[in-house]
Amino acid sequence: MEQLLDYAWLVVALPFAAAVLIGAFGKLMPLKGSEIGIAAVFVAWLISLGIGGYTFVNGPIEAVESSLTWAPMGSGFEIQLGQYVDGLTAMMLVLVTTVSLGVQLYSREYMHGEERFTYFFAMLSLFTFSMLVLVVANNTLQAVVGWELVGLCSFLLIGFYWHEKPNQDAANKAFLTTKFADIGLIVGVIVLSAGVAQTGSSTPFDIETTIDAAMGGELSTATIVLGCLMIFLGAVGKSGQMPLHVWLPDAMAGPTPVSALIHAATMVTAGVFLVARLYPVFAQSLVVMNTVAIVGVITLFFAGFVALVQDDIKKVLAYSTVSQLGYMMAALGVGGYTAGIFHLFTHGFFKALLFLGSGSLIHAVHSNNMSDMGGMRKYMPWTFATFIIGSLALAGFPLTAGFFSKDEVLVAAQIWGDAGFTMGTVVFWLGLAGAAVTTFYMARACFLIFFGEHRGVHHAAVPTHDEHADEHTVVEHAVEAEEAEAAAHDHAGAVSSTDGHDVHHGSPHESGWQILVPLVMLAVLSFPVGFAGGFLWDEVGGSTERNFETWTATHDIEETTYPFAAAAEAGAEGGEAEEGHALAGADGEVLAAGALAAEGGEEHGESLHVLHGAPEFHLDVFVYALIAFLVAVGGAWVIYGRGMPARDPTFRLGPVTTLLVNKYYFDDLGYRFVVVPVRDKLSPAASWTSNVVIDGIVKRVGGAAKRLGAVTYTTLDQKVIDGGINGAAFSAAWWSDKLRRIQSGDVQRYAGALLAGTIVLVLVFSAAR
Amino acid sequence: MLNDQGWLLTVALFLPLAGAGLMAVMPSRADVLIRRTAVVLTGLAFAVVVVITAGFDFGDAGALQYETTVGWIDAIGARYHLGIDGISLPLFFLTYLLTFLCAIYTTKHLPEPGKPKGFLALMMLLQTGMAGTFVAFDLVLFFVFWELVLVPMYFMIGIWGGPRREYASVKFFLYTLFGSVFMLVAFLSIYFAARETVTNPWDIVELTQAAGFGSSTFQTWAFLGIFLGFAIKVPMWPFHTWLPDAHTEAPTVGSVLLAGVLLKMGTYGFIRIALPILPDGAMRFAPLIGVLAVIGIIYGSLCCIAQSDVKRLIAFSSVGHMGFVMLGIASMTETGIQAALYGNIAHGVVTGMLFFLAGSLHERYHTRDIATIGGGMLVKMPRYGALLVYVSMASLGLPGLAGFWGEFTALWAARSPAEALVADGYSGLYLALVIGGAVGTVLTAGYFLWLLQRVGLGRPTGKWVEAKLADVMTIEWVSWTPLLLLILAMGVAPVIIFGVQDAAVADLVRSFTP
Repeated sequence: MEQLLDYAWLVVALPFAAAVLIGAFGKLMPLKGSEIGIAAVFVAWLISLGIGGYTFVNGPIEAVESSLTWAPMGSGFEIQLGQYVDGLTAMMLVLVTTVSLGVQLYSREYMHGEERFTYFFAMLSLFTFSMLVLVVANNTLQAVVGWELVGLCSFLLIGFYWHEKPNQDAANKAFLTTKFADIGLIVGVIVLSAGVAQTGSSTPFDIETTIDAAMGGELSTATIVLGCLMIFLGAVGKSGQMPLHVWLPDAMAGPTPVSALIHAATMVTAGVFLVARLYPVFAQSLVVMNTVAIVGVITLFFAGFVALVQDDIKKVLAYSTVSQLGYMMAALGVGGYTAGIFHLFTHGFFKALLFLGSGSLIHAVHSNNMSDMGGMRKYMPWTFATFIIGSLALAGFPLTAGFFSKDEVLVAAQIWGDAGFTMGTVVFWLGLAGAAVTTFYMARACFLIFFGEHRGVHHAAVPTHDEHADEHTVVEHAVEAEEAEAAAHDHAGAVSSTDGHDVHHGSPHESGWQILVPLVMLAVLSFPVGFAGGFLWDEVGGSTERNFETWTATHDIEETTYPFAAAAEAGAEGGEAEEGHALAGADGEVLAAGALAAEGGEEHGESLHVLHGAPEFHLDVFVYALIAFLVAVGGAWVIYGRGMPARDPTFRLGPVTTLLVNKYYFDDLGYRFVVVPVRDKLSPAASWTSNVVIDGIVKRVGGAAKRLGAVTYTTLDQKVIDGGINGAAFSAAWWSDKLRRIQSGDVQRYAGALLAGTIVLVLVFSAAR
Repeated sequence: MLNDQGWLLTVALFLPLAGAGLMAVMPSRADVLIRRTAVVLTGLAFAVVVVITAGFDFGDAGALQYETTVGWIDAIGARYHLGIDGISLPLFFLTYLLTFLCAIYTTKHLPEPGKPKGFLALMMLLQTGMAGTFVAFDLVLFFVFWELVLVPMYFMIGIWGGPRREYASVKFFLYTLFGSVFMLVAFLSIYFAARETVTNPWDIVELTQAAGFGSSTFQTWAFLGIFLGFAIKVPMWPFHTWLPDAHTEAPTVGSVLLAGVLLKMGTYGFIRIALPILPDGAMRFAPLIGVLAVIGIIYGSLCCIAQSDVKRLIAFSSVGHMGFVMLGIASMTETGIQAALYGNIAHGVVTGMLFFLAGSLHERYHTRDIATIGGGMLVKMPRYGALLVYVSMASLGLPGLAGFWGEFTALWAARSPAEALVADGYSGLYLALVIGGAVGTVLTAGYFLWLLQRVGLGRPTGKWVEAKLADVMTIEWVSWTPLLLLILAMGVAPVIIFGVQDAAVADLVRSFTP
């Protein structure tokens, strides 16, 4: 089993081989290439399970690292290509291959009859490969490579229906927003690795080396803070953190399986993963930790509300994803290493489940809009059951996966708060409130979709529920609905050529087995993945020695301490910490130490130095979370329980609704203050200066030379020389003639001019020496 | 050993010149025969270079191989000194490959007024000039090759170019010549300054070994002269305005060679001559070069966004990409020079390919105006559209394709510039340059995606709905496939360039940094 870890690269290589084979021979295969993709990812999945099983049973294991030199890059530095297998890698391998397998199977039916079916499967395999390149990376540069490649696949798949402009725009928006954030990633990786290079390492990108250097204090605080904040900027873009989340809801323009795989379960977690991967480096600075926590908590709290005013089920899930990514990031920011990646893990399963479920619904109803659904539990019992399980998991219903992981996030925040860090308390309470919002919008979605009577696709009826709302809202909402319709195109395209499915006005019916199997698989998995990390693990036969924590903890994580916390402790023990004392602390940690001393936390739980404490059960957290859940579900039942209310209260909140419908105006601001100025102002201005100003100088110099020639000829030559000494051999006439004919391009004469000019300049130069 | 057979280099160098002579005596009626002869001749020259590459000792890539030294102009001590090392080899190879592919492409595509005889003869003359600059190790010889390039390119643009060809060709010629004059003056001053200490004061190898001669003032002024010559050729901002005009008007093959090889002569000159011979001057100029480079990156990219002509857009993209190359040089480190040379090759391959595509676009649509084309290319010509996406992705620096490594390593190098620069307090400036360069990558992605959206995606509109547009033709596949594969190979296995250059760059940098 242990040797299996050395073959982790096979998990990466298989989807790549599949992508190449599908691209080359896919169209010739009986199942048009889908069998190649599924077979490859199936084998990769088995290997991943083996690696996952071994690391789980023996965790935490010492990372198994191997690499080869990709290229020398001068001064003895090497670019490496390698694999780094530890519990965190294994967890991601299991997640990515599982979801990829389910999604590929599902796509066989969902994308059936698509013109570019084979291309779609090639892209899914290419994406899986790219994501795994990132996951197994032993160095940050390889991570950048994988990171950019998943971005490309995301771009190509969001724009899968590139005939329509909204889809093109969505694809471009996704690529460029994340690319903007990648300024941070690139600069961050460069800053950290350049710092490592100065310590004498020949492999500056190596993650292990970077972590050792950071923990050993070999990197300056400026390097760590700048490097981490910049890398975090990259993560903000990729993982849809506010305010760079704007691309993610638009990315729903892609086919639904893509939304499940890329924009819910795997790619969007890349940012969280990278922060977790470099966690010991991030943990060196309170400034960095607080930034992560603040961005995360803002995202988790505010994104959820936007989901309340969505009619498109995929948009609801998209904003939910943004919000859940916020939980992950916030957890990392408050010392909850395990909590963050645990939520990443469980979320991957149940959010993929929800997206695939929504795809099943869309497939049956021919619309993305919940207002066109209703009563679906009667028509689609399997989809109903699995969707409800996914929703309960997302809402954190006890004993589901999301319950355990969200609970752990809140516990981590509580511990951090108890240790005297305000951010912990903030994350705890806003996280709790966010949980209630999550439950409410999911309950709303479930009631609207599955309960009441089937409403069917009546486009005219879409805005009826808010016809009495203020005018502005109606207009905006109609626009939203139009956009949603455009996004729903993918489905129409998929369906138009599907035999037997194109009866628009028949009653909807359950999807086929290739869609249901992944749904049931993910629904079933939604339970054990939670138990494995939860506090009930030993109750159900697991061992406290072997759980999610021990699985994903690495030795580096276990040894990581928070230098700023230690300084705080010292400060607190020293009684009233004077400013001078705090300043005298370890260099560069002044701000952190000072802030802590000011907060004057008295309790320093032993957990401060343990980032990944064993699962703890906090009764108060459990009770709070349960109350939040019940209140939210109850509220949703009252409003939506009998089907679509004539007046949806979320649309009757006046300015609040306006704000939410306009998505807090982030999209508008980005367009108005970034896209428009660069595209319509700055670029034409640059082009103008080039063509008119700079080139104008060039032209003027040329013109002046011509005039000088003319003057030389008429004045100097004809009047002075010709009037005096006649016929000088090397006359000015020759010169002016040449200059006059500049436009004729008489090349032989240029050589003469060159020689003459050179001689003159040499004389000048020699004189100057 | 093969690699001491210096005559091979001479054969490779003058085979095209002889070919040009052969072309000249062929009857101009024999249109097809002339085109095929050109393919055979450039193919033969390429084969010789393949042999040279095969015989090259990659384990000793820092040393000058295939060296020839014979007296040439004894009166001034100029010698015929040729050689090739790890820095020269990739550029030399690229020159022969691109010319060969251009000859193949010309068998089917040649703009008005036709006349393949003159065109191909000029192209081969150009080839000798370009290749010569990369293997000449005598300043006079280098300068002769450098200037030799101007004449055929001038005629290629002036005769086979677009509507404003005369303006563009004269501008190209005079602007470059303007820079060369200063460069020649600097060469002469180097000669006079080194005369007492160096046995052969024209010899680049000996001058490199004697690096650091002359006063600080001398180095600064001499560097300024060389800088003007090379910066115009690269071109660096703000000396770039000849480039969009020349590219827009040049015939496809002219643009491919201009972008693919000619611009590289400038950066190669910096690395081979300016840095090693005038290290003090270079160190003084490095921050300025870095700033101009990053201005070029951002400014060039912004100009691209504003363009309405596909070919002019690609031309402006060269300003940005060569900015990354110059940023690598500005770091004055091994990594930076590795990055610059890598970026050189990558830009040659990728942008050369883009100009091929732009040429074929014009052949089909008879316009290069983005708005007139108006989208739907992927519907009308799916293979061609896919190639445009592929090469654009390479050009915007996607990892896994050629463009990425040069850009990333250039930025990396700029974060850790030479110690002398750090000591002078330029660390913060260089960090700003890194961020500025990274911003440039986003703008680059922006204009390429926007271009693809406007010409490639959507459905055909207007007259294009019914128009018959041929997808990629066989001759195009033949002439493009090597470049397409090279783009992938360089991205997947950067070692094929970095590995070849490593030892040579190490030696070069060691020669001028303590």
